[in-house]
Amino acid sequence: MQLSSKLLCKNISTARIIVFLLSNFLGLAIVMGGLQFYLDAKSIWEEDDSFISTDYLVVNKKVTSENILGQSSVGFNEEEISELKKQNWVGDLSGFETADYHINASLETAGKGVSTAMFFEAIPDEFIDVPSSQWQWKEGSREIPLIISKDYLTLYNFGFASSAGLPKLSEGLMSGIPLRLSLSSEDGSRCEEFYGRIVGYSNRLNTILVPLEFMRWSNVAFGIGEVKKEPSRMIVKTTSPGDVAIEQYMNDHDWEIAGDKRNAAASFMLKVVVGIVLAIGVVITVLSFFILLLSISLLMEKNRGKMHSLLMLGYRLKAVEMPFRMIVVCASLGAWVLALASLILMRGAYLTQIEGLGAEPAQAWLVPLVGLGLTLLVIGCNLLAVKKRAFAAYYK
Amino acid sequence: MELKHIETIRLEGMLPRVFLSDPHRASDVWLTNLTFCRGERYLIEAESGAGKSSLCAYIYGSRRDYEGKLYFNSQDASSILVPNRQAIRRNNIAYLPQELDLFPELTAWENIQLKNSLTNHFTFQQIENMMERLGISFRRDFPAGKMSIGQQQRVAIIRSLCQPFDFILLDEPVSHLDEDNNRIAAMLISEEAERNGAGIISTSVGNPLLLTDAQRLKL
Repeated sequence: MQLSSKLLCKNISTARIIVFLLSNFLGLAIVMGGLQFYLDAKSIWEEDDSFISTDYLVVNKKVTSENILGQSSVGFNEEEISELKKQNWVGDLSGFETADYHINASLETAGKGVSTAMFFEAIPDEFIDVPSSQWQWKEGSREIPLIISKDYLTLYNFGFASSAGLPKLSEGLMSGIPLRLSLSSEDGSRCEEFYGRIVGYSNRLNTILVPLEFMRWSNVAFGIGEVKKEPSRMIVKTTSPGDVAIEQYMNDHDWEIAGDKRNAAASFMLKVVVGIVLAIGVVITVLSFFILLLSISLLMEKNRGKMHSLLMLGYRLKAVEMPFRMIVVCASLGAWVLALASLILMRGAYLTQIEGLGAEPAQAWLVPLVGLGLTLLVIGCNLLAVKKRAFAAYYK
Repeated sequence: MELKHIETIRLEGMLPRVFLSDPHRASDVWLTNLTFCRGERYLIEAESGAGKSSLCAYIYGSRRDYEGKLYFNSQDASSILVPNRQAIRRNNIAYLPQELDLFPELTAWENIQLKNSLTNHFTFQQIENMMERLGISFRRDFPAGKMSIGQQQRVAIIRSLCQPFDFILLDEPVSHLDEDNNRIAAMLISEEAERNGAGIISTSVGNPLLLTDAQRLKL
């Protein structure tokens, strides 16, 4: 170290620097941890459904004891549909078509098999936002593209797999495993095997979707040709999502919109909690910034005479500022590196858990960059203070 | 603008602000037009409190509380920015302050190196020779704070010479030296000034630096 730096570093209080380092680390770790968790977890609640945009509503009648006992229908009749169509918030609508035959699905993982009865529904392609190359079925093909509810994956992972000793599956993994589907008619006269390929997961569609073309073909092939049933669910394209009139209309008819009331509440709570955590982190960071500012100011005040003497000898202002700049930069970057390390550890601990809940982890570089930005802000402000103090030592 | 050489230092009607309300006194320096020329020698004699240290500080740029104008060549000294001022301190004007401004915790050698490592003006051998001539080489590795004022003064003289200069300002440089050491110091300073073609401005309150051919000015 240069003689001049050695002179100026004599009065440094290591304890004060460590207090800054720890408090800045704590503040940054809370800010970065909170933000990262929010970004990682928000996809669980927040609707970012790529298959069905928020402009679409899935409407069904409330299941009550009356419609169970058959006094009123759970299906929508023609009259109800045409009245719904007249509402000015409705752009387009369609009923869900259901399969008129038995479906049995089986899945083999790690040598163990699961099999279950299933159902299919279909809606017109224009309501689905998947590249048409993926959402296509031609007569004669054995492979059926599927969109399933995310809830089924959660049910499997946390309900079934844990109790049956089967491995947990992520979305990506699940899509890679062919689902064996055997379709049979009501009377058992026809039976055929197909393979299901999952092209996507949806939060808002609580069903298993197949292309409409397949549905129509299979209903002819396996169905018993019953009179067409009333659809029990409708998909509605709204021209004004969030319109109060929609809520009002649903209440009046005792219908409900499938989806995310509960999710909206959870998402809101997540935002509130994260907001509180971030606020605490920011407060601690700001306090630690003041600790550093005060420590540096005090140190430079103590060294004012020495700085003046060095400047009198002709030392450049930069050379006199250098040791203090080094303290600011090293301590701040040190705190950031520590916070980054703790962020990586923390993320490693929770990531597999929330991935099982269906979260799509956010990109890993964004939050460290935010932390770095905050750190650079702290560094910048302190360097300004250093500059000011050094200049103040110029004249006696 | 960095100055290659300062040929003249010119004072025009200069007066420390603290003297503004005082009754007028006859002075060769204050409230006159005075030019110090590079290569000349000036002995400024004054009673204490007449503003010797102020004059040095104004020229060296560590104080600005004066009336009137100060010019380096034709440039107004008050318009010089800090980085250029620092360059002048390294290359054009050497200064020995009255309070010496040594770092008490550093040794005599380190104090000198603090300046010389900045300018790389002298070799170690040259510095050792100067210490030898001024009789302080036995205090080479002694903390400056524990040396006598006279010894400190000699360390500070050597330190002030560790740079190229057009002028050297010496504020009571030999106030604590005996006549022999005064003579040696004067010789050393003269030699370095000649080598640089520089002017010497030295102040005193009765114990002047023993320069030959110096103009005497009364402050």
